[in-house]
Amino acid sequence: MTDIALSARPRNRSVAQRILAGAWTSTEMKVAVFIFAALAVLTVVAPFIIDASATKITVADRFLPPIFMEGGRYPYFLGTDQLGRDLLLRSLIGLRNAFAIGIVSVVIMFVIGCAIGIYSGYRGGWVDVILMRITDVQMSIPVVILAITILGMSRPNPFTVIAVLVLASWPAYARVARSVTLAERQKEYVRAAKILGASDIRIMALHIAPSILPSIAFVAVLDIARMMIFEAIFGFIGIGIQPPTPTFGTIISTGTQYLLNAWWITIVPGFLLALALTSLNLMGGVLERSRNLVLQGQL
Amino acid sequence: MAFAIEFFLRRLSQGLLIVLLVAFVIFTLLRIAPGDPIRIILGPMATATAMEETARELGLRDPIPIQFGRFVMQVAGGDFGHSFIRGKQGGASGGSQDGAMELSQRASVMDLIATALPYTLILAGLGLLFSFLIAVPIGLAAGLNPNGWQQKLGLYMSSFFVSLPNIWVGVVLIYLLSAKSGLLPAIGYRNIAYAIIPALVVAIEMSPVMIRAISVSIASNVQEAYFNVGQVRGISRNKMIYRHVIRNAAVPLLNVFGAQMIGMLLGGLFVVEYIFSFPGIGLLTINAVFQRDFPIIQAVAILASAVLVLINILVDFASTTIDRRLKF
Amino acid sequence: MASKPIVRVENLSVLLEGGGEPRPVLADISFDVAPRSVLGIIGESGSGKTVLSNALVNWIKLPLRVTSGQVLYQGRNLLGLPEHEMAKLRGREIAYIGANPTIALDPTIPVGHQIVEKLREVEPGISREAARKRVIDTLDAVRIPSAARRFDEYPFQFSGGMMQRAMIVDALVSNPKLLIADNITQPLDVTVAAQIIRLLRDLQSDFETSIVFISSALGVVSDIADDVIVINAGRIVERQTAARITSAPEHAYTRDLIAKVPRLWAAAETPEPTLLDDMMLEVRDVERTYVVPNHTKLFGENHVRAVRGVTFDVRRGESFGLIGESGCGKSTLSRLLSSIEQPDKGTIKVEGRDIAGLKGKPLLDMRRRFQLLLQDPYNAVPAHASVGRTIEEPLRIHGLASGAALKARVRDVMAEVGLSPDLYESLPVGLSAGQRQRINIARALILEPSLMILDETLSALDQVEQARLLALFEVLQRRHGITYLYISHDLTMVRRVCARIGVMYLGRIVELADNQTIFETPAHPYTRTLLSSILTVEPKPFRPETYLLEGEPPDPIHIPTGCSFRTRCPFAFDRCATDDPELAADADGNGAACHLAPGQMPPPTILPATTGPLAAPNA
Repeated sequence: MTDIALSARPRNRSVAQRILAGAWTSTEMKVAVFIFAALAVLTVVAPFIIDASATKITVADRFLPPIFMEGGRYPYFLGTDQLGRDLLLRSLIGLRNAFAIGIVSVVIMFVIGCAIGIYSGYRGGWVDVILMRITDVQMSIPVVILAITILGMSRPNPFTVIAVLVLASWPAYARVARSVTLAERQKEYVRAAKILGASDIRIMALHIAPSILPSIAFVAVLDIARMMIFEAIFGFIGIGIQPPTPTFGTIISTGTQYLLNAWWITIVPGFLLALALTSLNLMGGVLERSRNLVLQGQL
Repeated sequence: MAFAIEFFLRRLSQGLLIVLLVAFVIFTLLRIAPGDPIRIILGPMATATAMEETARELGLRDPIPIQFGRFVMQVAGGDFGHSFIRGKQGGASGGSQDGAMELSQRASVMDLIATALPYTLILAGLGLLFSFLIAVPIGLAAGLNPNGWQQKLGLYMSSFFVSLPNIWVGVVLIYLLSAKSGLLPAIGYRNIAYAIIPALVVAIEMSPVMIRAISVSIASNVQEAYFNVGQVRGISRNKMIYRHVIRNAAVPLLNVFGAQMIGMLLGGLFVVEYIFSFPGIGLLTINAVFQRDFPIIQAVAILASAVLVLINILVDFASTTIDRRLKF
Repeated sequence: MASKPIVRVENLSVLLEGGGEPRPVLADISFDVAPRSVLGIIGESGSGKTVLSNALVNWIKLPLRVTSGQVLYQGRNLLGLPEHEMAKLRGREIAYIGANPTIALDPTIPVGHQIVEKLREVEPGISREAARKRVIDTLDAVRIPSAARRFDEYPFQFSGGMMQRAMIVDALVSNPKLLIADNITQPLDVTVAAQIIRLLRDLQSDFETSIVFISSALGVVSDIADDVIVINAGRIVERQTAARITSAPEHAYTRDLIAKVPRLWAAAETPEPTLLDDMMLEVRDVERTYVVPNHTKLFGENHVRAVRGVTFDVRRGESFGLIGESGCGKSTLSRLLSSIEQPDKGTIKVEGRDIAGLKGKPLLDMRRRFQLLLQDPYNAVPAHASVGRTIEEPLRIHGLASGAALKARVRDVMAEVGLSPDLYESLPVGLSAGQRQRINIARALILEPSLMILDETLSALDQVEQARLLALFEVLQRRHGITYLYISHDLTMVRRVCARIGVMYLGRIVELADNQTIFETPAHPYTRTLLSSILTVEPKPFRPETYLLEGEPPDPIHIPTGCSFRTRCPFAFDRCATDDPELAADADGNGAACHLAPGQMPPPTILPATTGPLAAPNA
């Protein structure tokens, strides 16, 4: 059944712009961005307007429940932990650290993974086979095993944590970039560029990369959230960034001892993390849906 | 037939190479990372001579390639070695100044793994079952109605679930279903009820990926020409969905299942077992890491990657049976 | 027509909604279809004919909406039927075949099994064995060779023509009273389309089905239909018998349509032959074979002999054409000529220099002398770079200009090919196919090449756009003295433009001659068959009945011994199986690779040749 060719709507914007514009039209996107922005602002501004401390031990104010529960007290909006430290501020710092690690690691793995994937897909032959076997090996080691092997042996710091995350996740980007490169390589504009005499590097960097990147950028957004979760898991097991720096993992793990009496110590910070991650994941999901619509020609 | 032979020959040999490489990487990483296993075995008060003697006994002073070669020969003979620390009767050495436990008293890695494996399998099975129960109906509905509310529901649910860190969900569920209400048991294992909460955590982690994969795959197939043409030819919409769309959608789904999900499952199991003190392989391994118990870590890493590789091979072969184009 | 019509359409109107102003797609359409007859519907693209065909099976879905009218089938209004009633008719009494056969079936299940599935849906009582037998018999009836084996093969193993035959089987296997064929021959090669049309005509009388045949090609419809309807912009403008529509059209639009069909023989436009002797391109004995895995044997390999010894010359300033159908090797040849791949054997000389072995800098320099223009306007222009940037690129790669001088040159070239200078910074997203091809041309032209290879460059464009671009090519040729090599399957275009023509079949040139000889007195049976299959409104000198081809071209993996055409040639004799004929050129440079002497084929029926080898003897 031939489709009706709807009259071509005037399209003057690039693929990336159309994906972003399409994503922005949905309410979910606006809600997600709003939540994320609110949390970001709170992270920056809160230490200055809340008169409490994330690190100072105040024995008198221990185990205060959140302000909406009985016994809660201002300015401890979300209560305090076993050492009297304000949970909201601790959570926000943890959020900031987690997000920093998430973003840095994703940017690095995106660049490295895509570069390797494009090169592998374009070159083909032995180079391709070897690089793909390396990704197979890498993907055969579950993240957690790699992490506990490397980080479990020595005192972890932000660099080693980021290194482990990048090492574990770059193959996924390489795979996707490679398969898209294989498809683009057949297209006529690549053939035309070759006939004009363009070198391979030129074609890869100026023609293939810009065609691929908008399509898989949403994966990066989703991965920021995924890396933040890994960071929390590492902290929980004890192989993440060590105290006294507040990280979600350590906050949650130390709080489990007091679960029955002061459940908010564990549960409230996790809720804040979940909120931040939901906004990130919603953004990524809407971007993906928008990308699918644009690629099918419906936007 | 010739295709099958060629396929398996090729893939199994590649797979063996991959497993060997993984083993080598883990093996080397363990030995070059700081943190001496001897120190844990013998305790902080051990003398230098006792440490050297123990190290040589355990074969840790030889160059790494030689150690690896010895290891491979051992494994080929079916022996994964013995734990540095755990004893047969369940005890563990540590801090004993009399040197490491005698070889005959140390538990064999194979035994330790064999004991722990059934628990992990129960947890994995139950977790996957819960995931399917959640993900398949939602994914199907979302895929068949790409412009309706079902698709939005799929998007919200998967975005929400994937944002819940499994460590946190574990704690929340323990609090709600166990500590506060006493409905279900949480820590350790005495009967299958102990596996329910951990399996729920696993399901919450796995289902968003499944929902997304199913809905995307089904949605793209519903837009293919053969779906409409089939109905015009006289085949009912439902038959088209169940006989054709699901079949076509299965191939990319199998791919996702093999590569992404089994890897995720393995990693997730480890953490969940640790949280719930569930006596499976994950708990065994994590404890082994903290105790620098190399043989266990090596064996588990190799087994995990072998399982992954094997599942990938099976998934790829199944894909070629469904979609013959992949053979060519 | 005394009996009641099987389908009567009354005052049908359909609206297109969504995304702005509602637009009428069909307005007040009324017509009848007599039982056991063929009704042809002609319309250009955008006339609404596809929507009409969908309406006949009640498959009008959003954003289209029926605003008025009825489609009466045996007295019942299809548009008013509840869905479950309509489902009882679709696929059973009313069948539909569309334009894209290769994607019409589930790719993971064998073709025969899917036809059986449909049969058992529409005839629930039939047993599996009986269904299977009926399907195989029908596959046989549509002349699919080895029907029993093909029954178990998958859609990707079928060529376009074979798949269309299978879809015809699928439609007819339930003995429908009405068959709607929407544009079914459009993606097929000329000879294959001719076979399908003949097949459909035969089957129609065997099965006593009424056919509604929809197409945009006047030649096709007048060949197969009893009555013809012409649609323009959603309205019927003329209704006639097929015999009279070409000879005595009534409506101005129809007359226009007929006039636009290019004439190949009577009053044809042909180019002037060249007078220069300077050789631009010399191709000698070029061969290329691909090795692909053979999955039926362990570690097996197959050799695909795509190009098997091609030799021809192109003189400076000439327009040379290479024609052939799918599988003849012309795409491989174009890759070899543009140096994307190297030939396994043979030489390719451009302006005297052999490019066959060149690599690196010498190749880069040579690339300035010749350029290649490809077919697909949508994929040949990168979507992420602006128009100006795309055209600039060759200058940048070769380091020929920079800065303001660069931009000035780009602007000049844009003006020369007819692109507005405002488009310099725009992305190609909104541009039409014609404009995109102009970007391609500008990009190639800016290097000032002496030779341009046009590989199906105009095939994706409509007639009007093609004419405009051909005119542009002529202008450029006169101004810059460019030599053109046209690679195409479109005989009408080649007739207009190319002074010398080579006909390719299975990796070889089977005939090489000047324009007049090829079209009026061709010496190779394949050329005659091609000419006999062209769909045109004028009388043809070569009748399809005389030059009937069977089946499809053989696999390039298993090329027949002797003459590769003999398995399908209507005139093959015993020498053809043992000796492979050579292409021997005569004094004019014309020749055909065939053992037949010129007088041994039936003479052309219209044109009295007064000179040349086929001159009618005086008696």
